[in-house]
Amino acid sequence: MSSLSRYIETAGALLLAVIWISPLVFAFWAAFHSTSDAVNFNLTSAWTLDNFRTAWDGAPWLRYFLNTFILVTVILIGQFFVTTLAGFAFAKVQFPGRDVVFILVLMQLFILPEVLIVENYAMVSRLGLFDSILGVGMPYMASAFGIFLMRQAFKGVPIELHEAARVEGCGWFGILWRVYVPLARPTYLAYALVSVSTHWNNFLWPLIVTNSPDTRPLTVGLSIFGAPENGVDISVISAATMMSVAPLLIAFLVFQRQFVQAFLRAGIK
Amino acid sequence: MTQPFVHVEDVAKRWNGQLGVENISLSIPEGAFVALLGPSGCGKSTTLRLLSGLELPDEGRISIDGRDVTLAAPSERNLSMVFQSYALFPHLSVAENVMFGLKVRKTPKAERQKKLHRALEITGLLGYENRKPGELSGGQRQRVALARAIVANQPLCLMDEPLSNLDAKLRASVRKDIKKLQSDLGMTVVYVTHDQTEAMSMADMVVLMKDGHIQQVGAPEDLYYKPANTFVAEFVGAPPMALIDSAALPGFGGVEKIGLRAENIHVAETGQGRLSCQVSECEFLGSETFVGLSHPGTTGLTVSMPGLRNIPAGQQMEIGFSDADLHFFDANGQRLNQPQPGA
Repeated sequence: MSSLSRYIETAGALLLAVIWISPLVFAFWAAFHSTSDAVNFNLTSAWTLDNFRTAWDGAPWLRYFLNTFILVTVILIGQFFVTTLAGFAFAKVQFPGRDVVFILVLMQLFILPEVLIVENYAMVSRLGLFDSILGVGMPYMASAFGIFLMRQAFKGVPIELHEAARVEGCGWFGILWRVYVPLARPTYLAYALVSVSTHWNNFLWPLIVTNSPDTRPLTVGLSIFGAPENGVDISVISAATMMSVAPLLIAFLVFQRQFVQAFLRAGIK
Repeated sequence: MTQPFVHVEDVAKRWNGQLGVENISLSIPEGAFVALLGPSGCGKSTTLRLLSGLELPDEGRISIDGRDVTLAAPSERNLSMVFQSYALFPHLSVAENVMFGLKVRKTPKAERQKKLHRALEITGLLGYENRKPGELSGGQRQRVALARAIVANQPLCLMDEPLSNLDAKLRASVRKDIKKLQSDLGMTVVYVTHDQTEAMSMADMVVLMKDGHIQQVGAPEDLYYKPANTFVAEFVGAPPMALIDSAALPGFGGVEKIGLRAENIHVAETGQGRLSCQVSECEFLGSETFVGLSHPGTTGLTVSMPGLRNIPAGQQMEIGFSDADLHFFDANGQRLNQPQPGA
């Protein structure tokens, strides 16, 4: 009986994995074959790189890559900065109304960013950041999830270490920088992974707030490249998609072990 | 009369109206080894934290080295601290842990290396510079914590139960090391412990506390031979002092309790003793056996007998002692130097 249910579980897991990966496999397959071969699943057909050449010439990809790269970096730096300070304040600094403010921050988790898209748009315009990479990144920097994560990580740091650092002459920032931040490294790594993959893939908000190839990230560039008015060529679009997801995919495959360990360590501690 | 090195005056600390410590006054001379002793929750750690500046007192004044530091930050008090859990930074190597404070205070690199080398040499940690605390044994971690405390050459070192995480054998040897270190470096040490053996064997001055109040301050022998009250009498010594109601041992006026140490009791022949007791238990310790005795109106009556004894419980035993070895306490439990004559 138990062995039967084990088989069912394994089969279910395999099924889910196949369903999840099949679009990626198809895109991979299509990217390396001519359109007719790809849609006819002609398994013996020749492999080709022509699609990549066509796609590469069709849009300023290098610019898009650079934009996305700058975008996720700017967001990550901003998030690290804000969540570190806020998390530390919520974890270790006594101030009146701390719990109320923290609950308000947590309530942000209930709100989908898409709900605030109009308000964010107005805010970014008022700040004069419309159609800039900083404008794309700004609304995500004060991440409630990140603040919560950092607060938990900092709360787990033994108070004796804090006190030892105080006796040795550290001020608030010295303690934060020399004790808390290094000890929360697994949490930073795990959070960076979530943040980078989220913002690498984010589409709707950058689509709305960017207006020119100079600021457009990959996702928006890809959607414009694949828009029907440019003519639909499955193979070329697949090739462009492959190019867009490749850096993240390769990074994950290479650092898979470290990522999983970072998550485990951040979670268990 | 020189100014005491550490001076604590009428310090009180309360937590949400609950008692922390109250009326703490202490004068510690330079170079002294002071043990704060007491059962858990007696306020000895709180006192240490008030000295360190990790807690600030609600009342009273604290001065260190002639400077009023009542409200000063820990880092401004020129002291080092050894924590019970050692508080080593797990992400830093031994060398970085020891040099942490020097780096924070921006000591030049050459001087830092010299001090590090010396501290590691004194604590016998040379060769472990690049290990992380996680790769060290408990005793080694303890020595790293000591090295960090002595590296900056601060005149005052506070230790919060530094040996309680070590096994018994190691504890005895580290105890000697700490004592030697203290006298070699001429540091003033304030040492918190709940273990009276530690306090009695290491300290020049013992501060015995209970429920947030100091019970007695004095040299270890004073606490042992002249306990200020019945709490001290029953806390210090193994076995602790026995207390006898004056009703059970008449003849001493104005006395409520009479104290008597095990080593001053001898077994008397039948009819010759001053108290007739029943044996309640035997505790064999190797060179001697503590025989617990029960008698109405007494607590903790014990006689120490050489070698192995196995006296069945319930057997009658008469004990004798001389008046010179008795300690007298009044109705409030305070020591009386002489009972009033007559009864």
